[in-house]
Amino acid sequence: MTMDITFNIGGAAGQGIDTIGDLLTQVFVQAGFYTFTTKDFESRIRGGYNFTQIRVSDIPIYASVDQIDVIIALSVDAVVGQRDNLSEGGVIIFDESIEFEDLEACHFSAPLEKIAREVGGNVKMMNAAALGAVIAVINFPFELVRQVLTDIFGRKGEKIVAGNVDVAKALYDLTKSNFTGTCKYNLETLEKGSCTDKLILTGNKALALGAIAANVKWISSYPMSPSTSVFQDIVGYSQQLKIGSIQTEDEIASLAMAIGASFAGARSMVTTSGGGFALMVEALGFAAMIETPVVIYNAQRPGPSTGLPTRTEQADLLFMAFSSQGEFPRIILAPKDPVEAFNVATRAFNLADKFQIPVMILGDQYFADSVMNIPRIDVSGVKRDKGKLARSRADPDYKRYLLTEDGISPRAFPGDKGKTIVSAGNVHREDGHITEDAEMRKLMVQKFMNKIPAIMTELNPPQIYGTAQADTTLLTWGSTWGAAYEAVKSLAAKGESINQLHFCDVFPLRTAKLREVFAQSKQVIAVEQNITSQFASLVRMHTGLAVKQHINKYDGRPMTPGWIISELEEGGIV
Amino acid sequence: MITPEMLEEPQKVTWCTGCGNFGILAALKKAVIELGKPIHEIVLASGIGCSSKIPHYIGGVNSIHTLHGRPIPIATGIHLANTNLDVIVHTGDGDCLAEGLGHFVHAARRNVDIAVFIHNNGVNGLTKGQYSPAAPRGYVSNTSPPPPGAPMDPVNPMAQAITAGATFVARGFSGDQKGLVNLMLEAIRHKGFAVIDILQPCVTWNRQLTWKYYNEHTYALEETGHDVTNKFKALEKAMENGDRYPVGVFYKVESPDLASGIALPEKGTLKDHTTDLKDVQKIIDDLLL
Ligand SMILES: Cc1ncc(C[n+]2csc(CCOP(=O)(O)OP(=O)(O)O)c2C)c(N)n1
Ligand code: SF4
Ligand SMILES: [Mg+2]
Repeated sequence: MTMDITFNIGGAAGQGIDTIGDLLTQVFVQAGFYTFTTKDFESRIRGGYNFTQIRVSDIPIYASVDQIDVIIALSVDAVVGQRDNLSEGGVIIFDESIEFEDLEACHFSAPLEKIAREVGGNVKMMNAAALGAVIAVINFPFELVRQVLTDIFGRKGEKIVAGNVDVAKALYDLTKSNFTGTCKYNLETLEKGSCTDKLILTGNKALALGAIAANVKWISSYPMSPSTSVFQDIVGYSQQLKIGSIQTEDEIASLAMAIGASFAGARSMVTTSGGGFALMVEALGFAAMIETPVVIYNAQRPGPSTGLPTRTEQADLLFMAFSSQGEFPRIILAPKDPVEAFNVATRAFNLADKFQIPVMILGDQYFADSVMNIPRIDVSGVKRDKGKLARSRADPDYKRYLLTEDGISPRAFPGDKGKTIVSAGNVHREDGHITEDAEMRKLMVQKFMNKIPAIMTELNPPQIYGTAQADTTLLTWGSTWGAAYEAVKSLAAKGESINQLHFCDVFPLRTAKLREVFAQSKQVIAVEQNITSQFASLVRMHTGLAVKQHINKYDGRPMTPGWIISELEEGGIV
Repeated sequence: MITPEMLEEPQKVTWCTGCGNFGILAALKKAVIELGKPIHEIVLASGIGCSSKIPHYIGGVNSIHTLHGRPIPIATGIHLANTNLDVIVHTGDGDCLAEGLGHFVHAARRNVDIAVFIHNNGVNGLTKGQYSPAAPRGYVSNTSPPPPGAPMDPVNPMAQAITAGATFVARGFSGDQKGLVNLMLEAIRHKGFAVIDILQPCVTWNRQLTWKYYNEHTYALEETGHDVTNKFKALEKAMENGDRYPVGVFYKVESPDLASGIALPEKGTLKDHTTDLKDVQKIIDDLLL
């Protein structure tokens, strides 16, 4: 039997549900399982109702699911909010302080806070208490809990470790003797899984790691959910690795500074969400005009305006693709998960340098905050390609915007001896000085466009998942990959002829595979986390091929495989 | 050694005859020559406006002609990526005090080691003479509300700079070459955020702040025994709202600059620094469970 169990830890902001989630994830990762964790939280610091949902399996998993097997509730809302999603044979563990009327056998009222106080002498140890209770309910060996608590709290000293272990053990023993229900999962026999992936990462963290591996030397940003952790992480590494960073006065300054740093020769990036990107748009065009590479990360959230600050959507694609006056090349990459995110980050810097253009990484809250355990990232394969550079010898005739066949002029930087670097946001001559000359204007626009063929060959083609051909193809991009992938897998297992065509490199659009798939499949269904199927619009714009059926989610909550399947069924598609 | 020939304008100057920008350009060239810095280590960053075209009229010097209001953050990025460079911002009063005022105040507060030269003509010259944030109350232009004109007081760049935390604040006059060259040299050499508000007649649009007016209404601050280290006295001078404008250094103090608080390499520049992949691998491996 495969194991596929989902835990939902709910409570108010500030109650430490994240910590319980982290602990639980680590226990299972340590024990050799695949985990996928999503965070659902409100835009507030205290109170409200938040949850962390952890799915654990002994086979690879790529999305969260709707059915919950164990609920750990630190507030009434956490019970009420998820009760309907409890699977048959599921269990609800809640703190005894929560008054609850119709108790059923599957409900377990546990003295989490009391034991934390009495045994550990610290309410904060409620996290360890909850962990002990959960592990007992599923009959998992306590030893692993001891290990994980020791690892995590080791830095805080022996006393803290011992306190946490004691609290967890007390709850573990108490639950073993007092819990009368049975959980559908009895993991007593299933001790160790075979998964050896021990790197627990969010999409954002993987991007930050990719950026430092790519030799990012400058980051200027203004905090905005759900992008902020990338900025925080890179600033966290800045002292050790020597990375310049500033929290700017606004996003206009963020991108302006990054462009300045890049103009002077440092690999630069900014991080933001849609609203902040809106402020960056003028500078985006400036970067394009002066052909200065820069990497822009937009972690999307539902808009317009402030929208839902801590939730997810994929509705900035067309905005990213077409923002700014004028016409110029840009690249948009939309990583599906942390594994891909690391590579996307390193590629983004190389592509930006190689083509001397802005490169955008388009994530979303689901991608940004979801946690997976992935294989160790080996950085020895990371390549840093600074693109075409001018030779270092003095050259009084150096022209920053020299017209070349591929549109790319060798770069030099202020400070290079014997060269003058002149750049302008106005239309300029090859030497960078401004001009109104009609012919030069045309040549410079063509220079931009001459880069596109090489960009196209450099970008990765989309991937087919499932059978090479099928009657039905789900068309996806970015973070919706996982839910669609699992939906396709389970439908195919039931005999449906269905596969998935997925894009990471979304812009400029590579069309060959699309044409093939549209010719082969009977129906192509756009599955997007927005209301207008923006990617499908892009496909139609670039190929004339029209997607006729759409599955759209725009409530700010991520898709699940089950949701996609029910939408497909409701639409009579499967 | 930098010679005047090296700085010859790469293209024909498009300013109106008699424009105050000529005096600033001439002073800049002299300052660049006298500075004694290798020419490749100088960078000009300008915004958008008549004034911001200056990089195209001085040859052999690195430059970046940026966006309206944004030369200061762009210059900040250049400076921190390569602190060997002397970064000089040329900006108009519209550029710096309208779109760019937020950046100006924050750059002053950060004491970022760049020099900012405001070509202050009281108008948006390039867009044909609308009142700028530096135009006096009552200034009549094609976009000011019905007479008696601009219904608001001007931005006071000197006072803004001093209160925000700039460590070198001066006023210059395009008509006073010698004084302006010296101020420019001092500003460029100053370690920290250095501002010169340069009175620059716009002969085409501004009929109020003319050559004649400034010649008659300026006086040398130096001759009054002003103490440049006294912030409140400096502010008092900056707020002097009488009939005459003091010209010279208002305020000059030492204070840690922005670069000293950023994680720059101990040796060499950020631009030339490379992260060792071994360190990155270590960071990743430390995350492994
Ligand atoms: C974002 C943006 N808004 C408006 C303009 C139009 N514009 C060009 S120059 C200018 C004003 C220039 O005034 P100032 O900075 O004082 O320079 P001056 O021409 O007086 O030297 C304006 C509004 C622009 N280029 N960009
Ligand atoms: S419009 Fe005014 S500021 Fe512009 S060039 Fe003419 S005189 Fe100089
Ligand atoms: Mg002006």
